[in-house]
Amino acid sequence: MQASTLGWIRPSGQTLVGVAVTALAGVLVLYPIFFLLQASLNVGDPEAKPPTEYGFDNYVGLFQYSEILLNTVAVSLAATVMALLFGFVTAWILSRTDVPGRRTLEQLMAVPYYVTPLLGAFAWSLLGAPESGFVNQVWRALGGEDHLIDIVTPLGIAWVMALFEGSVAFVMIAAVMKSMDPALEEASQVIGASRFRTMLRVTLPLVAPGVLGAAIFVFAEMLGSFSAALVLGMPNRFYVVTTAMYQLVSQYPPRIPLAAAMGVSLFAVMFVMLFVYRRIITRRSYVTITGKAFRPRLMDVGRLRWVLFGICALYVVLSVVLPMLTLAYASVQKIAVAFPAAANWTLDNFRTATTMNAVRSALANSLLLGLATATIGVAIMGLLSWIIYRSRVPGSGMIEYIVMFPQAVPRLVFAFGMMWAWLIFPIPIYGTLWILLIAYLTVFLPLGVRAISGVMLQIDRSLEECAQMCGASWAYRTGTVTMPLLRPGLLAAWLLLFIASVRELGASILLMGPTSKVITPAIVESWFATSAELTAAMALIQTLVVALAMALFVFLTRQTSHHGGE
Amino acid sequence: MAETNEQVEPVTATALERSRPPAHIEVENLEVRYGNVAAVRGVSFSVRPGEQLTLLGPSGCGKTTTLRAIAGLERPSAGAIHIGGTTVYASAARINIPAEKRGLSMVFQSYAIWPHMTVFDNVAYGLRVRRAGAAEIAEKVRSALELVQMGSFAERPASALSGGQQQRVALARACVFSPSVLLFDEPLSNLDAKLRADMRIELRELQHRLGITSVYVTHDLEEALAMSDRIVVMRDGRIEQTGSPSEIYSVPRNAFVADFVGSSNLIEGSLRPDLATGGLIALETKAGHIVYGAAHGRPVGPNPVFSVRTVHLRIDLEKPAAVRNVWPARVRRCVFQGDFTQIHLTWGDRELVVRRAAQEPIATGREGYLSVEPAHCVLLEAT
Repeated sequence: MQASTLGWIRPSGQTLVGVAVTALAGVLVLYPIFFLLQASLNVGDPEAKPPTEYGFDNYVGLFQYSEILLNTVAVSLAATVMALLFGFVTAWILSRTDVPGRRTLEQLMAVPYYVTPLLGAFAWSLLGAPESGFVNQVWRALGGEDHLIDIVTPLGIAWVMALFEGSVAFVMIAAVMKSMDPALEEASQVIGASRFRTMLRVTLPLVAPGVLGAAIFVFAEMLGSFSAALVLGMPNRFYVVTTAMYQLVSQYPPRIPLAAAMGVSLFAVMFVMLFVYRRIITRRSYVTITGKAFRPRLMDVGRLRWVLFGICALYVVLSVVLPMLTLAYASVQKIAVAFPAAANWTLDNFRTATTMNAVRSALANSLLLGLATATIGVAIMGLLSWIIYRSRVPGSGMIEYIVMFPQAVPRLVFAFGMMWAWLIFPIPIYGTLWILLIAYLTVFLPLGVRAISGVMLQIDRSLEECAQMCGASWAYRTGTVTMPLLRPGLLAAWLLLFIASVRELGASILLMGPTSKVITPAIVESWFATSAELTAAMALIQTLVVALAMALFVFLTRQTSHHGGE
Repeated sequence: MAETNEQVEPVTATALERSRPPAHIEVENLEVRYGNVAAVRGVSFSVRPGEQLTLLGPSGCGKTTTLRAIAGLERPSAGAIHIGGTTVYASAARINIPAEKRGLSMVFQSYAIWPHMTVFDNVAYGLRVRRAGAAEIAEKVRSALELVQMGSFAERPASALSGGQQQRVALARACVFSPSVLLFDEPLSNLDAKLRADMRIELRELQHRLGITSVYVTHDLEEALAMSDRIVVMRDGRIEQTGSPSEIYSVPRNAFVADFVGSSNLIEGSLRPDLATGGLIALETKAGHIVYGAAHGRPVGPNPVFSVRTVHLRIDLEKPAAVRNVWPARVRRCVFQGDFTQIHLTWGDRELVVRRAAQEPIATGREGYLSVEPAHCVLLEAT
């Protein structure tokens, strides 16, 4: 009786692990945010830590930079409109019409997300720079004057951002369209409404909240996006908030407090937008997602189907095929031109890229970080998902908010807070790979938790409870029931985290030290400091390494599942 | 508050309690809250060793929550639970033993068969947790699977089983480590009607053979009547009535139990003390009908009500010989429902429902005679 009386208050292993992981996530997320806020309110000596004087001067100072704010909003809006257009049109075609090759096209629609806007910006810069762009060279060869397209403009930046975010918009809008019960449309037609009227009065209002949600989500992402504006805007001194922050931090002398105020404002706006997005999404789910299984009814579009097929294929070509071919084309030339002479062909860029010590160590560092982030991340994020969605710990809703918090903070802004936070940390980790590991684990919390919880929510709770009723302790049933059932989710999360880490730019560019370089910022440095051709080769090598790692991973997991399972 | 304080003493007097228990499971003033919502509000009952007790009620009545609280899967907010003389939960003494240490076993509504294991591994799980030897595991799993007639399925992957087979495996898994108590959470509700009827009988026989004390949750009346030694009828987190299946069916305490446990007609009237005779009491309805019925020792309140089962009412075209409880009535509607025919009658100023074994339908508008044995008119408890 003594022991069981204690059981009321004595923390079990489960509680201890839960509290520890939650505390860890809380520190990872909130500690840097605190320093970011502190820096933004510092109006005294910018070198003093902690600040000697506080005030709102830095925020007032932001108004001097109204041009940057205007740039940001204009580029983000243009990019959002385009991305939604791409996403809506392709989502409608692929989920509501009988277009040929639907399955394949649908899978291809996810690829732009993996190509990343950074590679897209490099490639489109090679294609569309007013003088040297391949497209403009071809244009002039065909007798055109001046240039056909100019990618080094605000609209060009928006175009590149939209091409790669379009894939995200597609996924979100397609999900809405697929979850809509076709009976709702059929009901309208049975009553005698025409197909057009049905579309206008039933279909559109039903998908409108979902599309609006996607619009807000995409716009928030655009506000925080960094790489396209860095590659295409910086050379012409065209700044958006994220690139301006980067400039303010990396120039000499740095203007840290001002940059912090910019970061806080950006994150405040994004936070509000993502909050609104969540509200819209949760309300919508009551209306159209019934949990009843149905096949979406596909519209017979006749001969138009090949046109629709062409539209989807064109999107994939512009966002994946053309950029990758362009990079490949440029990487094997001495000076990238549209019509190279025989003497211009070379493999030197690859030779240089693979032998340069800086590149080799950066790539090795990135792979090491990728492995560490994915492995540690899966453990932490798996436990967090379990605590948030499975345990009935009071305050698990709060934990969910903390974990999802980095979603609302651009990675650059987060890294900025982290730079400060860990600079004063007693253990000197600043400038080492450790701070990058901590940064990756923090900024990818939402990514990993979402990937794992998606699978976790599909596992019936009683499967775990039954193990408990059989007498199994928490550790035992986690090992024998929860983990094996969660395997697909854990593996997917591992792979996602690995890929995301190896390609991370926004946080890495601020946090890496001279002796702890990682690959993506190194590629960006090469773009500005060496040649586009060498950069293209480096980008291709990175892509290849990631692809090989993915293939190896898939091969290994297939192997083990064949041995372990059936 | 005063009530909970009273519970403190028996809880702390453990030494006495261990030697005492006639009841295997004892639930005292159990309360379970989710935030501000009370799912179970003060439920007390006990289960005798080897007894099969059923918690019966509509969805949302708190029966499953009560079961899960006994299991330890749900944390109560007040009350006490004792199992086999050990206190597994007591709010006053701050005792809460985790589910895995209560030594119970449970069959879940969804069966909860682990899809990544074979049938054998599923059943062996509880034994492996208890670190049984390989030979013992093989022997016990084999006999448990034989018990549920799944002996030849041991090496199948569990994901390849039909609903009924999963149900049997879940049962074998729950029994294999010889738990002292078996809990059932609507185990048959996902099976189709015919299989459900077969499994009902099998489960009952198995329970008798193993002599395990069990608590069974269902919303299905037939299941409860067929399988239980005793039934606890619940509504809105409270107990409405506790008794044997025949008691619950024949002598319902109130209108809710009368209606939930099979279909009933309720007949209100004012007491006619002058007509009381031979242990029967008489009510006069508003339409002036005199109805004789049994009070079962219950005091007659200001608004007495008889409950009469639809199957106990008779409708005849010829006047029956009985003296009491015979009245003229007219057929309004006749609904053929397969095993029985449901007849809606106009009786004075109201409608009554009669069910009888399927026979020739009676034409609408026909006049006939309604009759019922006085013993089948049961006085409900005064509210």
